[in-house]
Amino acid sequence: MQHKDVFIILADDDEDDRLFFEDAFEELKIDTKVSTFKDGLELMNYLTQEDSILPNILFLDLNMPKKSGIECLTEIKKINRLKDIAIAIYSTSASEEDIENTFVLGANVYIKKPNDFKKLKKVLSNVVTINWQYHTSGLNKDNFLLRL
Amino acid sequence: MGGLAYKHLQTLIKSFDLVEHTYEVNIELEQILSYLKDSETGQRGYLISKDTRFLESFFSGREKTNNSFARLKELTKKDERQQQKLRDLTVLIDKNLNYFDETFKYSKNDNLDSKEFDALLLAGKKTMDNIRLEINQMINHNNNLLRIRKLDNERSITNTPIIIYSVLIIALLLLLFTYSKINNDIKNLQTKNLQLEIFKESTNQSEIVSKHGTWNWFIEENKFSYSDNLYRLLGEQPQSFEPTIENFMQFVHPEDVDKLKKQVEKMMEKQDLPFIYYRIVQKNGSIRHFKAYGKVLTDNEENRRLIGTTADITDEIENYRLLEERNLELERNNKELSSFNHVASHDLQEPLRKIQTFISRLEDKESENLSERGNLYLERIKTSSTRMRLLIDDLLQFSRTNKSEEILEETNMNIILENAKQELAETILEKNAIITSDTIPTLTVIPFQLQQLFINLIGNSLKYSKKEVAPNIRISYEKVDAKNVKKIKKKKFNFYHKITFEDNGIGFDEEYAEKIFVLFSRLHNKNEYSGTGIGLSICKKIVDNHQGFIFAIGKPNIGSIFEVYLPFN
Repeated sequence: MQHKDVFIILADDDEDDRLFFEDAFEELKIDTKVSTFKDGLELMNYLTQEDSILPNILFLDLNMPKKSGIECLTEIKKINRLKDIAIAIYSTSASEEDIENTFVLGANVYIKKPNDFKKLKKVLSNVVTINWQYHTSGLNKDNFLLRL
Repeated sequence: MGGLAYKHLQTLIKSFDLVEHTYEVNIELEQILSYLKDSETGQRGYLISKDTRFLESFFSGREKTNNSFARLKELTKKDERQQQKLRDLTVLIDKNLNYFDETFKYSKNDNLDSKEFDALLLAGKKTMDNIRLEINQMINHNNNLLRIRKLDNERSITNTPIIIYSVLIIALLLLLFTYSKINNDIKNLQTKNLQLEIFKESTNQSEIVSKHGTWNWFIEENKFSYSDNLYRLLGEQPQSFEPTIENFMQFVHPEDVDKLKKQVEKMMEKQDLPFIYYRIVQKNGSIRHFKAYGKVLTDNEENRRLIGTTADITDEIENYRLLEERNLELERNNKELSSFNHVASHDLQEPLRKIQTFISRLEDKESENLSERGNLYLERIKTSSTRMRLLIDDLLQFSRTNKSEEILEETNMNIILENAKQELAETILEKNAIITSDTIPTLTVIPFQLQQLFINLIGNSLKYSKKEVAPNIRISYEKVDAKNVKKIKKKKFNFYHKITFEDNGIGFDEEYAEKIFVLFSRLHNKNEYSGTGIGLSICKKIVDNHQGFIFAIGKPNIGSIFEVYLPFN
């Protein structure tokens, strides 16, 4: 792995979504390395290893077996080594309740899974090229949900 | 009054008595004088003739004089002056009689020519003169008294008819007054009686209507009285059995007897008690629920009475149970609905999203490998899945407007309008739509719902615009008096905010003005216009949530007008 590559992790139990996600980054031609985990437990097992390479951006699905996205988010924010990872919520629904909860818990952006591959590519490209420092400092509930 | 008349008559009688008394005294005095004269005559006769027969009249005169004197003394015992005179007279009479006796001595000795005898006779005559004088004085005095008393008496007599007459008149007046008073009282009593009668009857009726009965317990005598309706509540004829506690307890549900007995005991001790609830069993076996309240009243003579009211609340309980059942059912339905929402939002969306993504993948990557027909099929699948997405989104929105717990807030409607326009910016731009609006005042509404309402109404105008004409949407505001709006049937408020959305779109036939608000009702083929038939139902629901009204007015090929009325408060 080259040092300048953006390291991205996706935790999503849905096989199709993982496929779309990897395909999208493949087509985007951005220097990225994508790792996927099929549930929250697997993700946390990886992240909590002392020598694990931490991602630049972590995409977190909310509805997952064994350990939900919300649980992962809560744990990550409690662990010093992990708490600064940029976290993008990546979910099918965009209910007010979920948006509110994840915002309060410290997620950086909320993405509603698009139903068009072109849109998916656009969203992911946007997220990866965001200047996170700038985005986070001006973060509020209104711009938390990424709109296209 | 009688006392006055009696007193007057007493005075009259007294004055008669006094007059009579004065006469008696006068007569007595005259008699004394005449008896004395008789004695004197007797003495003289004897002295001249020595005939002892004259002595008889002398002695009888003397005796009579004494008798008369005694009577006179008795008669005048109240008159000090007459008594004094009488004492003087006694002295004089004694003296005179003495002289008589002396003269007799001389006559016995035949010494009638002596100087001493002459002197005696003379002295006798003098005393006799003095007596006469004295008696005359007494008679005069008495006559004076008599005159005064007669005058008094006459006055009394003249006053008597006037007094008696006035007493009579006054008595008559009193009688009249008393009569009218009694008459009045009787009338009052009759009115009061009538009122009581009315009150009693209306109490009876109200007992029947509201299914309650009353009872009294005279604690000291241990006697009861039940109102007619209490019997009816027990399923019995009014007053068909003796009202006792034992008889009543026979009706009480066996499980509630102890409870009721304890509560009644408590009633005797405490002033205010909560209601008592118990059941009774009527003779036909039906169980009724009763609710009772009682209070002890103590009268002036320390007699205690427990006054109570009992109501049959079986219907209430039945209704309450039904209501509770329905509430539970509603709750269940709501739960099902919200779980349906969840299914719709998550589980349905997910496969659909994937279908759509795969379609877009196929379109991008594989379209050149498909035949023309294959590409057509792919296009049809895409259209259908898009429509399915639209339906799911709209349904979710519709169910979200269900929420009754949304809180009303003071909302700047101009910001809401701006947000709505923002939401529709893409279509507005695409169709070159012009939207103008009045300034709308701040309203107390559910902001999220009003925004949805604006989006749906403006979106509707944009969607059903004429193909060749740019949409022109005019939003106007005015405050209206409910009296002037005939369309509003059940006016809950006096004034309404009226927001009108007017467009130059394709309009619709007036006959559909109401139908378009019905869920899933569509006026156009879905190939022409991409509606789901949910948007306007959402509008109607939002306006209903705000206790408002929405009306549609359509003119085919000219445009549509949507009027929203929201309560002004």
